Amino acid sequence: MVTEDSDTENKYKRSDAAETGSGSRSPVGRRRFLQAAGAGAAVGLAGCSGGGGGDGGPVTLGAAYILSGFASLYGEEAERGIDFAVSEINDNGGIDGRDVEVIVRDTEASADTAIQQIRSLVQEDNVDGLFGLDSSGVAQAVAPQISQLQIPFMITHAATPFVTSPQGEHEDSVGNEYVFRDSNSLAQDIYGAARVAQELDATEWATIGPDYAFGYETWDYFQAYCDGLGVEAEFTAEQFPALATSDYRPFISSILDADPDAVLTPLWGADLTTFIGQAESAGWFDQIDHTLFSVGMGTDLPSDGSPLPEGEYASTRYDPFVPDTETNNSFRDAYYEEYESLPTYNAEGAYRAVHLYKEAIESAGGTDASALVDEFTGMEHSGPVGDYRFSETNQATVASIWGTVTYDDEWESNVLDPVNRYEAGPDVLSEALGDSDLPTGI
Amino acid sequence: MSFTPLVPLIGISDVVIGLSLGSRLFLIAVGLSLIFGVLGVLNFAHGGFYMLGAYVTLAVISNVVDNFWIAVVVGALAVGVVGAAIEFSAIRRLYDRVDSDLDQLIVTFGFVLVIHEAVRFIWGSGSYSIDPPDVFNFSVTLGGSTFNAYRLVVIGLAVGVLVALWLFITRTYFGSLVRGTSSDREMAAMLGVDVPRLYTGVFFLGSVLAGLGGALSAPIQATSPALGDQVIIDAFIVVVIGGLGSMGGAFVGAMLIGMMQSLGPQFISAGSIAIPFLAMVVVLLLRPEGLFGGIGE
Repeated sequence: MVTEDSDTENKYKRSDAAETGSGSRSPVGRRRFLQAAGAGAAVGLAGCSGGGGGDGGPVTLGAAYILSGFASLYGEEAERGIDFAVSEINDNGGIDGRDVEVIVRDTEASADTAIQQIRSLVQEDNVDGLFGLDSSGVAQAVAPQISQLQIPFMITHAATPFVTSPQGEHEDSVGNEYVFRDSNSLAQDIYGAARVAQELDATEWATIGPDYAFGYETWDYFQAYCDGLGVEAEFTAEQFPALATSDYRPFISSILDADPDAVLTPLWGADLTTFIGQAESAGWFDQIDHTLFSVGMGTDLPSDGSPLPEGEYASTRYDPFVPDTETNNSFRDAYYEEYESLPTYNAEGAYRAVHLYKEAIESAGGTDASALVDEFTGMEHSGPVGDYRFSETNQATVASIWGTVTYDDEWESNVLDPVNRYEAGPDVLSEALGDSDLPTGI
Repeated sequence: MSFTPLVPLIGISDVVIGLSLGSRLFLIAVGLSLIFGVLGVLNFAHGGFYMLGAYVTLAVISNVVDNFWIAVVVGALAVGVVGAAIEFSAIRRLYDRVDSDLDQLIVTFGFVLVIHEAVRFIWGSGSYSIDPPDVFNFSVTLGGSTFNAYRLVVIGLAVGVLVALWLFITRTYFGSLVRGTSSDREMAAMLGVDVPRLYTGVFFLGSVLAGLGGALSAPIQATSPALGDQVIIDAFIVVVIGGLGSMGGAFVGAMLIGMMQSLGPQFISAGSIAIPFLAMVVVLLLRPEGLFGGIGE
């Protein structure tokens, strides 16, 4: 169980365990990891019968991610996490003795395409459950459809709080009993950004974010949290360039002209990589004291050449080194062994979604959709990200994780060090949002 | 669309950035305008040509020879060859059709899709960027604002292309053939001009210009499969504002749109993408033929 302790800010240095353990980092290797995981998974005790299972055929799950376009690296990372989970589960007796297979489809970052793909997965491939989604805009459009299809959907990345805010709570809320999220939401993530802002010697803040709901919501929540937490902040400039902008220079100039102390940016995917290159050549990081990248690590790790500048702040939804648990360390090491890069949060979120289905199906004794929804509702679970449960609104009570971008020679990668975890449960968020009418989504 | 509470500060760098954005737009729009002016073909695939120029340049630099200028020339010429091949194999067959306008539109749009998918197939859907050539890769600070020196090179080259094209069209034998043929195709053919070959030549030239635009822009933009679609819309706005078939109009229109793209974010925080469209609407209402439309060149 996660203890919700909003006043406790746990400052972790990357644990020595990780460093000594990896000073002699004996790569665990995928096989050994799978065997170890298998030993813990008591397989073959399929005491329950009924539900959709029992026919010995595979359990089929459908996943929808961005596999093409400006943010295709997110889908590629999710596929890695899925492959990892599928091999791990199938090499260890499957789900109640049945193999699991996952059909991954491309949303192309488009709501219409995502809806078509999801309908096809349900109606043509007869999947037993769904997971995925990278874009908030897409998730917002998909959630009501999921309710119509009456099949569980585990969102693993798209962050808008409105998909886990019950319909009617706010004009944009589309949360319903079928939609869950196993990763942290924008409301949780940006709470952490405001906590970082509390610590910084910066009063004038600006933003540059994508020109759609996600960019605006990030800025709205940040302002509301700063207000609620009593952060001394003025919000002086904002720029919202269109997705897939090829030249950010005009927008960069506009922010530089306003000369803020700090900037919060939710740019992501190839847009973030493009922006960072152009910002560097414009002298951005010399002029602006602090830049907070709210989607930083998801883009940084899979991209060539680690774009995030050292010393700036970034958030992640999963940290490969924290918590320093056997589950996380062995997942990270085995993943690194397999792919020669640290697992991103998108890989971990997708990996965990497959495991969540395994646990729910085994507990329900089958794949009946309403039984799975009942299982997920309020479920307590543990994975590389740590221990968490699903709140009343189907949002995982995971921490908000922010840290300082630091290059790690040993892993040949940017990491967050030091890294802070801010517990971001329902009470903490609603208190921090103060008088704002924005929903906590948890 | 929300308005920034700040008084916009227009610095020299904003002007330089605007002119460099305008320069790349000019290189694509002038080819589009030339092809339309002479062949009467509105080439939707022109944005794809621009994108292809950027990709070929990147590919040459990373796989063949690490020399930016050679890569630019190869990129521009490769696109010219692709353009000429498209004209020769597909568009040429449509000139004499009754509904040739619609057919040309559909065929060139087909090539938009083909180029887009080919790029995705060959280079994937990620985004690439390169540094400007070393000799120009330094920051210039003027009047308190900073920009990369390479942007000045792009502006200079665009002006150079404008002058060279003008001389070529007005001072050379080939230029007089182009002008004559665009005025009266039948008469030119009767006087012995090899019109089909001339058309392929003009299409080659227009494509080279688009490829050159893409190649020169590779260091100041992200190259991704979305690029072609982005620039073709801007290029159409440029030729509508400047006047179809007018080289000077393409230059003025491109610089206007470039400046709007650069200065727009200084005034509004979102939706600056709509400013060129608004400008086009205003021009169409006040001067439907465009600012330089109807002025023979």
